[in-house]
Amino acid sequence: MATQVDDARIIEFDVRTDEMLVNMGPQHPSTHGVLRLVLRTDGEIVSEVEPHIGYLHRCAEKIGENLTPRQWIPYTDRMDYLAGMNMNLGWSLCVEKLIEHELPEKAKHLRVIIAEMGRLASHLVGMGAYGLDLGTFSPFLYAFRERERILDLFEEACGARLTYSYLTPGGATADLPNGWLQKCEAFLDQFEPVIQEYHALLTTNAIFIKRTANIGVMSGEMAVDYGCTGPVLRGSGVDYDLRRDGEDRYTELYDGYAFEVIVQRDGHYPKDHDYPAVPKETVLGDCWHRFYVRMLEVVQAIDLVRQAIDRYSTASGDWGVPIKLTHKLPKGEVYLETEAPRGQMGFYLVSDGSSIPWRVRARSSCFCNLSVTSELCRGCLIADVPAIVGSLDIVMGEIDR
Amino acid sequence: MLLAAFDWHALFFTFFALLTCGFAVAVLFSNNIVHMAFYLILSLGASAGLFFLAGAEFVGAMQLMIYVGGTLVLLIFGVMLTAQSRFISMETRSGEWVMAIIVGGSLLFLLATAALRVEDWRSGHPNPAKVGLAESKTTTQIGMGFTGVRVDKLDPDVVGSPLVPGMSGYLLPFVIVSVHLLVVLVGAAYMARTKRRATSTGAAA
Amino acid sequence: MAEFFHTTCHLPAPLAYLLAAIIACVLIIHVVAVGALIFIWLERKVSGRIQDRLGPTRVGGAFGWLQTLADGIKLIAKEDITPKDADAMLFKLAPYVGFAASYCAYIALPFSDGWVAQHMNTAVFFILAVLGIEVFSPILAGYSSGSKWSLFGAMREAAQVVSYEVPLGMCVVVPCMICGTLNLVTIGNMQAGSFTNWLAFNDPFTFIIACVYFTCATASVNRAPFDLAEAESELVAGFHTEYSGLRWSFFFMAEYGSMFLVSGLAAILFFGGWHGPIPIAEPIAGVLVVVVEPLVNIGRYLLGFIARDIGKVTDGAVAIQIANLMGCLNFLLKGTIGVTVMMWVRWTLPRLRIDQVMTTCLKYCVPIAAFGFVGALFWQVFEVPTLNDLPSPIGINRSVAHESWVVEADREREIRAQAVTPSPADLPGESVGSFDSAAVDSLVMKGGAR
Repeated sequence: MATQVDDARIIEFDVRTDEMLVNMGPQHPSTHGVLRLVLRTDGEIVSEVEPHIGYLHRCAEKIGENLTPRQWIPYTDRMDYLAGMNMNLGWSLCVEKLIEHELPEKAKHLRVIIAEMGRLASHLVGMGAYGLDLGTFSPFLYAFRERERILDLFEEACGARLTYSYLTPGGATADLPNGWLQKCEAFLDQFEPVIQEYHALLTTNAIFIKRTANIGVMSGEMAVDYGCTGPVLRGSGVDYDLRRDGEDRYTELYDGYAFEVIVQRDGHYPKDHDYPAVPKETVLGDCWHRFYVRMLEVVQAIDLVRQAIDRYSTASGDWGVPIKLTHKLPKGEVYLETEAPRGQMGFYLVSDGSSIPWRVRARSSCFCNLSVTSELCRGCLIADVPAIVGSLDIVMGEIDR
Repeated sequence: MLLAAFDWHALFFTFFALLTCGFAVAVLFSNNIVHMAFYLILSLGASAGLFFLAGAEFVGAMQLMIYVGGTLVLLIFGVMLTAQSRFISMETRSGEWVMAIIVGGSLLFLLATAALRVEDWRSGHPNPAKVGLAESKTTTQIGMGFTGVRVDKLDPDVVGSPLVPGMSGYLLPFVIVSVHLLVVLVGAAYMARTKRRATSTGAAA
Repeated sequence: MAEFFHTTCHLPAPLAYLLAAIIACVLIIHVVAVGALIFIWLERKVSGRIQDRLGPTRVGGAFGWLQTLADGIKLIAKEDITPKDADAMLFKLAPYVGFAASYCAYIALPFSDGWVAQHMNTAVFFILAVLGIEVFSPILAGYSSGSKWSLFGAMREAAQVVSYEVPLGMCVVVPCMICGTLNLVTIGNMQAGSFTNWLAFNDPFTFIIACVYFTCATASVNRAPFDLAEAESELVAGFHTEYSGLRWSFFFMAEYGSMFLVSGLAAILFFGGWHGPIPIAEPIAGVLVVVVEPLVNIGRYLLGFIARDIGKVTDGAVAIQIANLMGCLNFLLKGTIGVTVMMWVRWTLPRLRIDQVMTTCLKYCVPIAAFGFVGALFWQVFEVPTLNDLPSPIGINRSVAHESWVVEADREREIRAQAVTPSPADLPGESVGSFDSAAVDSLVMKGGAR
């Protein structure tokens, strides 16, 4: 197999050595779960990376064909287990689309609060774990310090810290408890200044920039070709976010919210917050930009939650009573994609008219995002493999389902 | 006292000498090339111990830095980058043994005869008990020799400029040797690079 | 120390040397082993505080100060595994190589004025040479483990060694050049007085050199951001992936031992060694001696039965030793600060990539070190005024180091002229020839302030 040698760095390591075939994972500290990468290396240079998946496959989709939609909610939690709320939301919207259920106003804003808080929690892990991939431990714990507080809030709302099963078809299992909004606002007020710490530790850190700038560069076309979504797509400069460009049933949640898609337009990111400047060494579509998009989305999510809290507290209606456990599904098929933290999470449902779906299918964003690995890692160094895979921010639970 | 009468210096000398020779022999009898390198390190390290014992710290440290460090480079570039399989083993054929014994034996014979001819060395050590682990005072002289002043060849009669003409140290040879080494290094680095990257297709599996 | 046993306690010379050696060995192994114990605990506490958590709190009562000991016991109890594919002999020996080298380098490291296991005229060079041997440990471990990740770790270590050793050596040369000696005790003593006398503050160039030295020293002990050989997110655990139990812990004892070693070396070379920032040690020692003297007298009385001449230890000697003890504390404190800075760096910065390590060391550190070296050289040659307020013999020696060979030559000639005529102290039969070069050398050295 041919080795791509367009990379100028290769010349520096121009001493011929034997090729080695190395297994990175499924038990490896930096493969985010049970991903297995087979590396073909020439010294430190990686000539080929082949991701192997399937170590976490739990037949979730097949199980979905034996349960009612509400019963399947806990299984969606376990897909992207770092953003369970967003998985709940995607499936709920999909089912609601099939049964043509309309949500009360308040339930919509509640969903925005919960989904954006979920995005915060998920991006915090993504950021911290990326620090780990690059060999710095502290940001991970800083991230978890804040994430714990989000999980505390989630726990108050639904009783669980990881697998929430909170948002269900029809609305949510319960309304937010009394005083929750105040606690949430207090958290946001405390959290917003802390982001500067993350920028100091990672985003603007010289070594971090050296490790991520111009590494794993993916053009916008390539990202689209491979079906990449989410921050990975926007990091390559493609202006696409389902919260704005998605289906009406999803975008109506965000109707009237002031938010701008985080993407570099004309060489600039949205200027409505105090972001650190983009370093000169970086190239659009490299690991740094993917990371940066995630960091900006954190700030944006805070903003969205604040807006949603205002609307929620004045909105009419209730939190949305869940549909019956054995709700009869109309005959038909639906597909709906939502903007989960890691990209577009789609659910596909075919019903034959009974209360149990005839076919359930989930479209994973991480699966497509992971598929670019072998392309991006060709010709890089071993140390860049965790940097590139980490910047894609994959969760194996979602890929294998 | 028994302890005082005992020749500790000779004991340590014998100890380090045996280590040096023993590991040198181990290099010969080992089949694995990495083991050989390891034994070589130990042998050279033990000979550095001999230097320290003789109070020649500078030479001892030199021995560690140059020879042991050199073995490191040998290990890396000679073994790791060229070995086709890991833990490469080498079999010595009997012809090679004979050759090695002839060459090595004659060298040993020459050295031994030469050493035994030196009058002072035959009479044994003057007073072993007096020789402690002496502090070495030679560094300054060596350093000054390299930078142009032979302290041991100063003219005691001339005050002011004690330098003897023609005895102005080793500055020029020192600089020439170092520039030469630099050239060798650059050349080696240049030659180590293969030119295979000219085309866009590289190594096959 | 050997002289003390020999002259004061009237022990025979070999026994005196043996006793001194044993004492030095035991003390140093405690510095390495107990030091590792303390530093690993410190690392946990420091990383804990940096990461907004507590670190160990329970084992041994307050602050979890026995945590490392508990872990050590756990490591002893762990099974010692040798992988099937490993080269068993090298695999088992590799941890000891590193530990032995780290331990051996302490022989030449003075802890206070004259408190050194073996006085060496070339102590700096010796320490560098021995530290160079330490890298065999990861390389052999990585090669013999029979694991591809370990092999990667070994290769990275080798690549790293060739990059950091050059600038490290260049940085170490600068203080030696200013002081005109490789003897660490002398270098330390040339920085007596207030902190303005420290070599790092001698001129701006040495300060730069001190920073470069610390960077390269961090690389030489494999600490983040240069911990490529064991990069846990890339190479699982690098060269020690396959190790377990006590053998594994030997790598860490060596690592922490070397950390303190290079920090201590930095303290001596650049930051005044055992001299505190303000010269208060001697007055305090003068006060303390009043308190200690009765105890010393009791000691003299008790020990007098064993060795009569202990009674001859003068009061001045006691005061000097008290000052030395405080100097030793100073030195330990400085070394610990260096180690703590390394920890701080480790828990703050991401890891560099291997080519970036090479770039940092060879493309940046080498030119900066060379620039600093030349700058410091010119500072000395043109006798640019420095902050130091050293008393004239030492001060002059430091500032006119570039002329030392002339001074040296004069002195040499003088002494040589004396030495050819046998002095009455030389007993007949004790020296072979009429010319005892060792005696001349020692006279040369004693003749100067160096």
